[in-house]
Amino acid sequence: MIGPMRDYWLCKLFYDLQSPAAVAEYRAERDKVLDRYRIGAEVRKALAENDVPFLAQRTNAYLLRYYFFATGMKDEEFKRRLRHG
Amino acid sequence: MASFAGAFAASHGPLLIREWEAVPRGEQSRLKNAFEELGRRLKSANPDALIVVSPDHWSNFSLDNYPAVCLGVGAVNEGPPEPWMKGFAHREIAGHPELALHIAGQAMRGGFEPSVSHRLKLDHGACIPLWRMGLDTLPKIVPMLLNSIEPPMPSLRRCFDWGRLLRQSIESYPEPIRVAILGTGGLSHSIGEPTMGAIYEDFDHETIRRFSSSEDSLLSYLEDELPRRGNGSEEVRNWLVAHGAAGGRGFELVDYLPVPTVIVGCGFASWRAS
Repeated sequence: MIGPMRDYWLCKLFYDLQSPAAVAEYRAERDKVLDRYRIGAEVRKALAENDVPFLAQRTNAYLLRYYFFATGMKDEEFKRRLRHG
Repeated sequence: MASFAGAFAASHGPLLIREWEAVPRGEQSRLKNAFEELGRRLKSANPDALIVVSPDHWSNFSLDNYPAVCLGVGAVNEGPPEPWMKGFAHREIAGHPELALHIAGQAMRGGFEPSVSHRLKLDHGACIPLWRMGLDTLPKIVPMLLNSIEPPMPSLRRCFDWGRLLRQSIESYPEPIRVAILGTGGLSHSIGEPTMGAIYEDFDHETIRRFSSSEDSLLSYLEDELPRRGNGSEEVRNWLVAHGAAGGRGFELVDYLPVPTVIVGCGFASWRAS
């Protein structure tokens, strides 16, 4: 396989959240935003629980890092979760 | 005919801006000097146009379509979209559509198939070096977005060959202008993966050493090592384009220093135009 499999809708969410307005809306009304994407129940649960390793298997690493930066997780916490769940 | 005015390379890690005040003074000073030295060399080369080779950090492309290579052929491109890049003075950046379209045509005739865009956003990858090099006025910028972010990526050999193609395209462009190349990114770093924050100094030093050896030695080393040296290290592809344009010769290291605060092995280099 030449490239990894991706969860398209998760990646699209992370991509769209690069807009400051979009991320502000997401932080205020997460469920409303998530309803616009065809994100599966397992992935939605992982988002709710900040399950970094689970999400890391389904998206690009730069998008993953951006998402947690934009939603307010400190880098040290992000790295800890990446390594240890 | 146009002439090749030289090639340059510089790191572009976002934390060079976002965490600048947290960088220890000694490292700040070396980074500042390295960027400014590159700026002096670029000004001395006096280019009318600068081809900037950088990845697209999801600023233009998404999983809907992520091209291996995209040439910016527009008259104007946009400045960086990242909110923390607001300090960069250029919100619109002039392109050189005639040169860019000439390169695209040469590429198609030569068996390369870039995509083209008539309006790109030039994110921090292109703009941090342009900013920190202290250029008062920018030459016309031809962006070349080369995928080193999302697999599959162009092969290392292909990136080197892209450099050769750029050189041939410059030297066959009919107007008497001077054109330089700036490759950005690298050296080692790791973003959003379990090794995030790692800097592989041994890899960086050996890569730098091999830029002064044969291209086969350099490419072979990178083929073997890149898969385990952090995803950000893939950006060395942009240096390979610069190296290919210089004919694989004339590499001069300006400075290298690992900077943990910005989580990048920061490298700065130029190639003599010969």
